Amino acid sequence: MSAPRLIVLAAACIGIVALPWILPAGQLVAATQMLIAALFACAFNLLAGQSGMLSFGHAAYFGVGAFATIHAMNALGGAGLLPTPLMPLAGGVAGLAFGVVAGWFATMRAGVYFSMITLALAELLHALAPHLKGVFGGEAGVSAMRMPAWGFTFGSETEVYYLVLVWVGACLAALYALTGTPLGRLALGLRENAVRLRYLGYRPHTLKTLVFALSAMFSGIAGGLQAMNIEAANYVLFEIKLSTDAVLFAYIGGVNTFLGPVLGAAVLTFLSHTLSDLTRSWLLYQGILFVLVMLFFPDGLAGLVRRAAQSLRDRGLARWLPPFAVSAASALSITAGTVFTVELLQRMFARDYRSLLAMNPGSPWPDIELFGHPWAPLSPSTWWLPAALLVAGLLAARRAAVMWREPEAQHPATTEATR
Amino acid sequence: MEYFTVSLLNGLIYGLLLFMVSAGLTLIFGMMGVLNFAHASFYMTGAYAAYTLAPLTGFWLALALATLIAGILGMAVERYFLRRVHKYGHAQELLVTFGLAYIITELIKLFYGDFPVDYRVPEFLSFAAFRVFAADYPFYRLLMGVVALLMFAVIYLLLSRTRVGIVVRAAIYRPRMAEALGHNVPLVFMSVFGVGAAMAGLAGAVAGAFYTTSPNMALELGVLVFVVVVVGGLGSLEGALIASLLIGLISSFSVGVDASLADLFGLVGLRDWAEGIGGLMTVQVSSLAATLPFVLMLVVLLARPSGLRGEQA
Amino acid sequence: MTANQTILSLEGVRKSFGGAEIIRGVDLQVRQGERHAVIGPNGAGKSTLFHLISGSFAPSAGRIRLRGQDIAGLPPERVNRMGLARSFQITNVFPRLTVRENLRLAVLRMHGLSYHFWRPVARHLAVNDDVDRLLETVRLAARRDVAAGDLNYSEQRSLEIGMTLASRPSVILLDEPMAGMSQHEVDYTVGLIQDVTRDCTLLIVEHDMQVVFSLAHRISVLVYGEILATGTPDEIRANAAVREAYLGEQTV
Repeated sequence: MSAPRLIVLAAACIGIVALPWILPAGQLVAATQMLIAALFACAFNLLAGQSGMLSFGHAAYFGVGAFATIHAMNALGGAGLLPTPLMPLAGGVAGLAFGVVAGWFATMRAGVYFSMITLALAELLHALAPHLKGVFGGEAGVSAMRMPAWGFTFGSETEVYYLVLVWVGACLAALYALTGTPLGRLALGLRENAVRLRYLGYRPHTLKTLVFALSAMFSGIAGGLQAMNIEAANYVLFEIKLSTDAVLFAYIGGVNTFLGPVLGAAVLTFLSHTLSDLTRSWLLYQGILFVLVMLFFPDGLAGLVRRAAQSLRDRGLARWLPPFAVSAASALSITAGTVFTVELLQRMFARDYRSLLAMNPGSPWPDIELFGHPWAPLSPSTWWLPAALLVAGLLAARRAAVMWREPEAQHPATTEATR
Repeated sequence: MEYFTVSLLNGLIYGLLLFMVSAGLTLIFGMMGVLNFAHASFYMTGAYAAYTLAPLTGFWLALALATLIAGILGMAVERYFLRRVHKYGHAQELLVTFGLAYIITELIKLFYGDFPVDYRVPEFLSFAAFRVFAADYPFYRLLMGVVALLMFAVIYLLLSRTRVGIVVRAAIYRPRMAEALGHNVPLVFMSVFGVGAAMAGLAGAVAGAFYTTSPNMALELGVLVFVVVVVGGLGSLEGALIASLLIGLISSFSVGVDASLADLFGLVGLRDWAEGIGGLMTVQVSSLAATLPFVLMLVVLLARPSGLRGEQA
Repeated sequence: MTANQTILSLEGVRKSFGGAEIIRGVDLQVRQGERHAVIGPNGAGKSTLFHLISGSFAPSAGRIRLRGQDIAGLPPERVNRMGLARSFQITNVFPRLTVRENLRLAVLRMHGLSYHFWRPVARHLAVNDDVDRLLETVRLAARRDVAAGDLNYSEQRSLEIGMTLASRPSVILLDEPMAGMSQHEVDYTVGLIQDVTRDCTLLIVEHDMQVVFSLAHRISVLVYGEILATGTPDEIRANAAVREAYLGEQTV
């Protein structure tokens, strides 16, 4: 590995391990969530990016793992068969078992049928769960307490963080190792040409079921970690939101690299935590970002970073900086314009504002406070600003595209051969 | 007997409603090979558009305009989004429609709030059509069924009896040949997409007044529509019709069945044992009504993987 | 191993798609160890025949037997595991994987590693040796790290052949393996095929008559879904009906 990469990697590792000392208390919870999301997204990608099976119901395995772990925590109290640090194994086993059954069904079909079946299976569980109060605990869910074990109390966020860190690290390493095994290679074959594998003597259905089960297992571990983190599990885990998150994280991050989904999950979870206090439309931004990525940057943020690094190597800093600056300016401008528009609209249509309007019909609409400045919602002068930002951003994007295309050092435009 | 008749009527009408939405989805898939994840969003858009316009233009015009708005939205989706990712393959197209569905839902929440809105059947339509034994059967339900049947008839005739229909069918089966013969195939694609979306929008506009209109309606119906196409076979209109009616009837009948597995075991004298186990044994069928379509899907998958009338797996 | 035993037999095989009958009663006996070519005009049904034998779909009527066992209607993976492998006329590789990876996937099963996920594949030396051997055989060693989708057409044909050979089959079906190759490449591939089919049986569809006549021990002529004649190259060359139906003015 090259020197700069090694340095970045080392810095990242040190940063991750030292996080509890760097971050203020309360922020550590977010970091723990980021880790869990990263594992979930990576487990999802084993199926989607590597094997070409797009699952829209992955929340089911996460949720099953969470509940299994919660029940294990209550049943075993952190001692005996499964001491607290090993609790996520319960989640893994449950995920694996459920994944085998679900996977066997779902992989009977391919392509869009497969995707629809996974969605329906998750919805089935979601509809069933409230009625099985013994297992899923009804509205309030099931809760448990982390019991001390191995000399730790597991009472503090720091200890939970390290527990999650160890598990996520181990699982990510296992998932990475998996890509190099015969099964991991065959998964790629499933993605590229499952039909051909039949003529080579393989049974794709069995292979797919196995890969599905493994993906579900790691998702179950992630769910178990979450259950340990918040000491509760609730059937809302089976809602579409988690399944959607897996898809968004993986594809925004980039499904063609191993760390892409990890990156996507980390960034988006982080943004979700920090921005949800500032805006009520974070989900909308996430959706817009996803569609933009799908339209213009199919290999995600990781792909973007990789291409940027590659072109830096090819062009040298002097010729790389100008197009990069224009691209960055374009992105900032478009983001600013979009954010302004969405935030203003959101406030205009909020219940409070509309009640305000209803109270004084006929009088002009009150100004809306945004970014420390009052804006008149119906005046054109308000809307010039986002319009200008968007137009400027689009023009800059065009210019940047031209600048990037100017002759570079030899870089033949071939398809990226997978390792 | 009353229960049976009412459930039958309700089930058929709900099935027809499902068919209105899934017919468009099946047509689009047959034509473009793309599963339009955002299809149920057109349904939701139709409902919200009708809700917004009804106080301004009256109910009927609102329905018409809502259908048109949904259709235009559909055409825009095809023209500006799908066409751009067509070259990357079907998975990419599916994901884009998924993202669009997500965005549309969030936009609805932004403009209308994250709760149901009060879209109601207008006064002049909320009367009883006839009496079924002891109860009144609402006219509006019948209206929904009639709209669905009319729409189906129009589409069927359009496709099979007109020149436009022939061109569309040709473009579905042999797009390149149709293009070589001088037909504007991209225009056909966009139009079919728009018509499919309009059908879904009309269904939403009509049904939203009767059922709940909320940001969640796209997902609730969307999943059912997917079950319909898995069971009926993507690309098959007849399969979609059969599956829609089947699911409509199952949903409708099961809501009134207060029996459970324990009752079944009771037939052989094992009721107490079953009730002792609890859990799945004592859940009533009526509570599980929402899950039955999924169970049907799994059963069909086991018995006939290619769906009732669909293509090979 | 008696040289003249029938290893693959088709009896009264028919196949219809909807209303169209593509294969209209084919009787074919392929002898163990021979190189048997199937020739015929376009549309005669040669690829359909291969699909029927390799398990893509079942015949509408008739029997197909491999070493005496019925294989008609069996799925492709079963047929392959019984020792029959085929190549494809339209390239059917793993496009974004490297040449090396393509061959490795073909080889893995032979080492019992189909479901193996606890050791990296790089550590399985026998697998890598096999792959290297195949790369040498089809002369793609220099292109081992190129994505299969980036190969030129004749290289992809070579890869196809390599993948077909990977499972060390006893019966090989090659569907126009030399389409698009230069004369030089054709000569090499003919030699290659002669080499690797020394210990197994070959059924080959080809349009290049020179290749057919130099490779095949026996030739069957398929016209409109029926076998017009079967015999040695000389017999076929002399057969007037065959000439009329197919060879036309060509001098061979």
